[in-house]
Amino acid sequence: MRILLTLTVWFGLLLASAASAQSLEDLARQLPEGSFNDRAEVVAKIGATGDDRAVGLLNALGEGELRVREADGAVIQVKGRGSKAVGYDPLTGDELGPVGSGSTESIRVNNSLRRAVRAAIGLLTLSSPDAGKRLAAANTAFAAPDPEQIEALDTAIAKEGDAAVRTAMEQARAAAVLASDAPGAEKVAAIGIVARRGGTDALTVLNPYRGDADAPVAEAADKAIAGIERAQQLWNVGQNVWFGLSLGSVLLLAAVGLAITFGVMGVINMAHGELIMIGAYTTYVTQQVIRTSFPGLFDWSLLIAAPLAFLVAGAIGVAIERFIVRFLYGRALETLLATWGVSLILQQLVRTFFGPSNREVGNPSWMSGAFPLGGLSITWNRFYIVIFAVAIFVGLLLLLKRTLFGLQMRAVTQNRPMASEMGIRTARVDALTFGLGAGIAGLAGVALSQIDNVSPNLGQSYIIDSFLVVVFGGAGNLWGTFAAAFTLGVANKFMEPFVGAVLAKILILVFIILFIQKRPRGLFPTRGRAVEG
Amino acid sequence: MASTSFIDRRLGVFLALLAVVTVGVPLANTALSPESGLHVPTYMLSLIGKYLCYALLAVALDLVWGYCGILSLGHGAFFALGGYAMGMHLMRQIGSRGAYGNPVLPDFMVFLGYEKLPWFWHGFDMFWFACLMVLLAPGLLAFVFGWFAFRSRVTGVYLSIITQAMTYALLLAFFRNEMGFGGNNGLTDFKDVLGFSLSSDGTRVTLFVLSALALGGGLLVGRWITMTKFGKVLVGVRDAESRTRFLGYRVEQFKLFVFTVSAMMAGVAGALYVPQVGIINPGEFSPANSIEIVIWVALGGRGTLVGAALGALIVVAAKSWLTSAFPDAWLYALGLMFILVTIFLPQGVLGLIEKLGRGRREQPEPEAVEAEA
Amino acid sequence: MICNLKHFGLGAAAAASLWAGSALAQEETIKVGVLHSLSGTMAISETTLKDAVLMMIDEQNKKGGVLGKKLEPVVVDPASDWPLFAEKARELVASDNVSVVFGCWTSVSRKSVLPVFEELNSILFYPVQYEGQESQRNVFYTGAAPNQQAIPAVDYLMNEEGVERWVLAGTDYVYPRTTNQILEAYLKMKGVAPEDIMINYTPFGHSDWQTIVSDIKAFGSAGKKTAVVSTINGDANVPFYKELANQGVSAEDIPVVAFSVGEEELAGLDTAPLVGHLAAWNYFMSVDTPENDEFIEKWHAFIKNDDRVTNDPMEATYIGFNMWVKAVEAAGTTETDAVLDNMIGVAVPNLTGGISSMGANHHITKPVLIGEIQDDGQIETVWETPGLVLGDEWSDYLPESKDLISDWRAPMSCGNFNVATGKCGGTAAN
Repeated sequence: MRILLTLTVWFGLLLASAASAQSLEDLARQLPEGSFNDRAEVVAKIGATGDDRAVGLLNALGEGELRVREADGAVIQVKGRGSKAVGYDPLTGDELGPVGSGSTESIRVNNSLRRAVRAAIGLLTLSSPDAGKRLAAANTAFAAPDPEQIEALDTAIAKEGDAAVRTAMEQARAAAVLASDAPGAEKVAAIGIVARRGGTDALTVLNPYRGDADAPVAEAADKAIAGIERAQQLWNVGQNVWFGLSLGSVLLLAAVGLAITFGVMGVINMAHGELIMIGAYTTYVTQQVIRTSFPGLFDWSLLIAAPLAFLVAGAIGVAIERFIVRFLYGRALETLLATWGVSLILQQLVRTFFGPSNREVGNPSWMSGAFPLGGLSITWNRFYIVIFAVAIFVGLLLLLKRTLFGLQMRAVTQNRPMASEMGIRTARVDALTFGLGAGIAGLAGVALSQIDNVSPNLGQSYIIDSFLVVVFGGAGNLWGTFAAAFTLGVANKFMEPFVGAVLAKILILVFIILFIQKRPRGLFPTRGRAVEG
Repeated sequence: MASTSFIDRRLGVFLALLAVVTVGVPLANTALSPESGLHVPTYMLSLIGKYLCYALLAVALDLVWGYCGILSLGHGAFFALGGYAMGMHLMRQIGSRGAYGNPVLPDFMVFLGYEKLPWFWHGFDMFWFACLMVLLAPGLLAFVFGWFAFRSRVTGVYLSIITQAMTYALLLAFFRNEMGFGGNNGLTDFKDVLGFSLSSDGTRVTLFVLSALALGGGLLVGRWITMTKFGKVLVGVRDAESRTRFLGYRVEQFKLFVFTVSAMMAGVAGALYVPQVGIINPGEFSPANSIEIVIWVALGGRGTLVGAALGALIVVAAKSWLTSAFPDAWLYALGLMFILVTIFLPQGVLGLIEKLGRGRREQPEPEAVEAEA
Repeated sequence: MICNLKHFGLGAAAAASLWAGSALAQEETIKVGVLHSLSGTMAISETTLKDAVLMMIDEQNKKGGVLGKKLEPVVVDPASDWPLFAEKARELVASDNVSVVFGCWTSVSRKSVLPVFEELNSILFYPVQYEGQESQRNVFYTGAAPNQQAIPAVDYLMNEEGVERWVLAGTDYVYPRTTNQILEAYLKMKGVAPEDIMINYTPFGHSDWQTIVSDIKAFGSAGKKTAVVSTINGDANVPFYKELANQGVSAEDIPVVAFSVGEEELAGLDTAPLVGHLAAWNYFMSVDTPENDEFIEKWHAFIKNDDRVTNDPMEATYIGFNMWVKAVEAAGTTETDAVLDNMIGVAVPNLTGGISSMGANHHITKPVLIGEIQDDGQIETVWETPGLVLGDEWSDYLPESKDLISDWRAPMSCGNFNVATGKCGGTAAN
């Protein structure tokens, strides 16, 4: 630990205090012993050593990679599983060769220990050369204010060059001051600094001082909290709009395929949900293949899965049209029965081949986590799903309005005999149109696999909503489906905080029932084949 | 040409067979010894009783779909409401025999911390009131719903989807424990009705006979409605609504009347169903259940009443049998059955039977109206 | 059509007798009913239990069966349809003459079949954690009662993690309602202020958790350590945890302890962002005992897939099955009353290294394990009760059930004896 010591005052101080206690090697040996609380203290001591090797050791502990070798009781780091497990020296990083299964015992980590690790690493990385790491360390210190860190933070602030990191460090310092027994005036100033950060984090820090024994402190805290909460209320409206758009995009995805098969062609396609499910399972299979054969491509898995899902679901759609639906044109309601049968069969097929339980479809790294937008926190997966839904919708519009196939499709929908007279192969157009609707359902499945269960029941949970959206929008009108999906999504999310999730949904249903009384052909009524009952 | 008489050949045969079953099955259950090959065990008797309730439900749907073109995807809701009305009575009958021994509150209310009985539970301790509600609850809902929908001329698929929305909303509502209907668990643990233990064979036989009588009655009511001039108007509404309207008929009122009667019939079916299966829960409101009713009717033969009952019996019996015989593969068989019947038997099973019969007798059936949806 | 119907009836009867006939021709068997949904919404969870029972039967037959007879499974599919559960239960007992039934998952399916088992006097083993508030003569509850899961989990969070503020989130049905009621009473007894408890219910299969997760984050910003106690049901969990992970709620900030999330549910998830969230059960696949290793090995061999996980309801099935075998052997017959008499006190090894025994209240003794989710989808034990805990059927923390006890031994033989009034509250045993 005497190696590589950084030449800062506080580091030196820490070093001295640690040196008087125990060496890093000694501390590491103590990690497996005692209760979680005892071990959290050991972790704090490791953090206080300031030793560069400690970060690696603590990271390994936090990741659950530290194990005790049963032969000699040494603490080693094990990477990989089963036959691929390889041991390393946690301090030097030297490879120790393969580790047989059963020859080591894991060092248990729980949340409180993980918190201790996070805090210790934060302390150690406050002076890291990487600005991102310093920021993370400052944020960790902010979330877990500790008066003991004030000194360390002061040192770090003094030599910090990056303005953003510096601000975060100052806020962390203020939070630590609040937790200390500093005089009231200093605390009031600290409250001001913390309040400027705003958001939920600041509230978490400030809330305990609401009823502080020191009156000015309590007053300042109250004022700061009220201010943050006012700002949050405004942002909440934005947050609800976003949640609503996100829910709307899910509804749009689920419904837009149906807007073709049901809205345009008039087939009451009860197997629509199962086509979505097929899309989700295609994603699963694609990811499995990528995981086993091309692990490097994992982040591309969804982009690879999307066309595949479109083709698989589309092919099944064409098959359904050719073998079943085509015999039922002109008997719209009876398509309900046959496609219901198809949906039962598809569900059971998936259950037979993939088993009844949920399958894991992972989020690629670019779809994980969230990013802040003002006071909003927007999750990446929802963000991309909104974009994906709108892109599909626009693509579909272009296809219908700008291509020959779209023209033929509209011709067949509007006047079949005339279209046939003009030389359009109506049977082919029917099959492709149904296939298109099915393929889009498959695409929806790719997106929904990111937020929902991938199980044989996946389709069942979307089928009713899909029909409602299409009917509410006005069957046969794509823009109607678009408007309906987002209207219902936003309305639902605005009601949810007041009446709860269930009642919000019931109210939406009642609203649709009443709305249809007013406008019996939906939001945007169209003329067209079928749809008529 | 049997169709001009009130009871035509089709209905006559069915009612005769129903009468045989009504008398025969209970006899075979009680009079014959279990060793006898013709003995019908009690569980089979209850099972058939349950099927008969489903058959009545199918007849109710056929009345509105087959004769007036209203494809209701929410008839399960009326069935369930009738069932809940009866279930609430049976629940009150338990009295202090519940697990907590509370003389007034049902068990689920005790552990959810209810202080007193919610207002809408009052009166259900009286049998006549419960029976009234069996008719009124679904009837009223159908009346209000239909009054709005038919007046606004909501038709076709739009009507189907909002009936589905209705049953879905009710499903969600009844799932809520705050509603006071027992939430997901629904109402269960019934003990007796009018003082007769529900688990005694005598009560079972009585319920069975009542179900059979209700089915027969339902068929006759349906026949009466559709046979009269009124019924002819209905068929007119189904096949050409606007034309019928221009002829001067108030189409809405015709539809509303039939819709309400049909809902009450479904309610009766539900009320008879509950004591025989011993539980009523929100699952009965699920849209999938209502779709299944439509499938029974289509499979049996739409617009024939008898066909609807037949379809229900075939599908539920097949489901009972397949789920035991092929627990892993029965959905394939059921799904395939729906597809094949839809494509190859547009007139349903009844149409097939009659076609075979006709082939032999060469007698045209005038009533097989090709119904375009 | 009646012809048709009768045809069916006779056909089924004929098929049944044929089946029975062919079985008789080989040798006399003991029939075991398996009543788990293989299709519909609950197939996700229940299919595994069907396979577990089949494996146990297979194992037992390899050992020569029971009482010198082979066991014969009768599998039916109640299709997640609650009235169908009652119908199938009746069919199993009355028509197939099974000696015992292993089955049910949801509370409503159990409630639906209870009258059938009572009336026909047969035996049901119910292997899933449930809300308690029930003890029936013909049913043995091998899953956890609230005191074997919920209360120790809350104790752990309170003592080890210092949690002061609680979100009780659940699906709106009877198990979460009752569990949360018990927990609320318990927390208040421990001095938690009412404003520090937030209760939230969502419908089955809820998939849009954005609002609720952000509410939880807001609730957790009061400066007190906050935890979520989740009784969210199976299907809704995947979207819930995905939303938690994406909104950045980590276990170190707001831990979620779940009572319905086990290895099977986690298999449908990428657990890396969930490391540290907790689960409370009586068994984890990761438990390191020879019994468990053997069980997992047999399971993998039986299901022919080394990736399949085991979970708590499977262990409960294992315990229940072995208890039944032992009681039948003690009774020397599969006759219901004799087996019931021999069940109480039966003790068999569980998979966590202890011996579970059947209490007089038809619940069993088990250890309570608190575990944290790992990045490989396993749950590692971080705490366990020092000894075994007996399931408490009537919760002591609810005013309406605190005076009730259950004891199925003669002379009491009562499932809801009121110690205050000294009377057996409900219907007495048959």
